[in-house]
Order: sequence, then structure tokens, then C-alpha cells
Amino acid sequence: MKNRLRVLRAERDWSQQQLADRLEVSRQSVNAIETGRYDPSLPLAFRIAEVFELAIEDIFQREA
Amino acid sequence: MTASSENALRSSVPLWAGLTFASFGAVMGLALSDAIDSTTAMILLIVPAALFFQTMRAANRAANNRAPCSAKGEAQQRYIKRVVVFSSAYLVAIALQVSLLSDGDPSTAARVALALLPAFAIIGVFWAIGRLIVEEQDEFLRMLIVRQALIATGFALAAATLWGFLESTGVVIHLDAYWWAVAWFFGQFVGAIANRIGYGTWGAL
Repeated sequence: MKNRLRVLRAERDWSQQQLADRLEVSRQSVNAIETGRYDPSLPLAFRIAEVFELAIEDIFQREA
Repeated sequence: MTASSENALRSSVPLWAGLTFASFGAVMGLALSDAIDSTTAMILLIVPAALFFQTMRAANRAANNRAPCSAKGEAQQRYIKRVVVFSSAYLVAIALQVSLLSDGDPSTAARVALALLPAFAIIGVFWAIGRLIVEEQDEFLRMLIVRQALIATGFALAAATLWGFLESTGVVIHLDAYWWAVAWFFGQFVGAIANRIGYGTWGAL
């Protein structure tokens, strides 16, 4: 699964740690999701969408 | 060496954990080969114990650096405290075993009690890992811990199976079964390396 986490974070000028604090997860989690090594669960994907005030499909896309 | 690299060295959990296991293995190797007597082994066990505490301190520092105010940090700190308690109990139990078994011929009940004390301390560490899996709120870290434990289980079971068949053909010496718990803990390191390769982080154990 592809995601736009790094771009969205950069647009808001947030560090990985700042995003992690907002999501109440570890910085490693943010890094693993950003780099595509880990796909988040549905509840965490919803939390990410809430933090960015976007729909899940605006952040996560299926690989072509 | 610069201050930052010195600090990184002090906070390196794999380094301290590796030194702990290496020193423990060296002491056990010397004891099992009768190069040193049990009393000397008991005294020398202070070295891996001290290194182990340093490992726990480094792990605690790393956990604080990662997420100072999240529930994840709290679960890991509880885990570290539990492991310190059970590891200390283990060392005391081993010390009691060595000193009491060498003094004459204790009763069967006393032998059973002396055998069960270190066993329960090790089981306590297994329980602490189980509680960490239950209490860890960060799903990614929880996945890493589960993955690491599964790799350790596979490693220990594979080692036990291989050794068992080799032992039945008389190729290798007999090993007491508690060594498979040691193999499992060693397997945790294999699991941590696998996590590092697969997910870019050593994990949370």
C-alpha cells in the first residue's frame, strides 16, 4: 500500500516525532508507515486521517 | 571519542545485551567444563548481572527518548521493572542453590524447592514478555515483539530438535532441558536482528 504521509507531514512542517505524538504512537511506527514497511490497522489509519483532517483514501492508496 | 558517540555507546541496548550474554555464556562455559568450581561461578555471575542492569538502564533511556509521554513507554518501563525483579530473583535462587546443595545432602523437599526457585524466576520473565504484548499500546511495536518472540520460539525449538536427535545418536553430550530457555533468549537476539533487517528497528524487547 502506498501512502502520502511524508508529503502531508512536510506540508504541515511536522517532524516524525511530532506526528507520532499526535497519533500517540512511537516515532518508529511513523517511520515504518512512511517508508511502506508497515501497513497500519484500520483504527490507526482512521486516527491518521483524523489528524490530517482528510479521508483515508486521500492518504492511503493501493499499489498499482 | 566525541561526547555524542560516547553517549550513543552508553545507550546501545544491543551492545550491553551482547556483553551480558557473552559474559554469562563464558561463566557458564567455565562452570560446565569444570574449569571453575560452583562458588567461583556464583561470584563471577556478578559480572553478567551488572551488565544486565546496564542493559536495562540503556533500554529505559531508549524508551524514554522514543516516546516520553505515551502509554507505550509506560508498558516498556513496567516490563523492564518486572525483568529486573525476576532476574534478581533468579540470581538469588542460583546463589542459594549453589551454596545449599554444596553443603551436605539436603532433603528431597529442599531439593525440589531449590530447583523450582530459579525455574519460577525464568517463567516470570516469560510472563513479563506476555504482559508486554498485552499492555503495549503501539501496534507496530507490539507486532515487532510478537515477531521477535516467534522467531525465538522457532530458533529454540529447532535447536532442541537438532540437539535431541544428535544426542540420541551419541554425537553430542547430554544437555539439561533448561538450556532451551537460554536458547530461546538467544533467539530473541536473532529476532531483533530480523526486525532490524525487515523493519529498520531493533524492536522493543
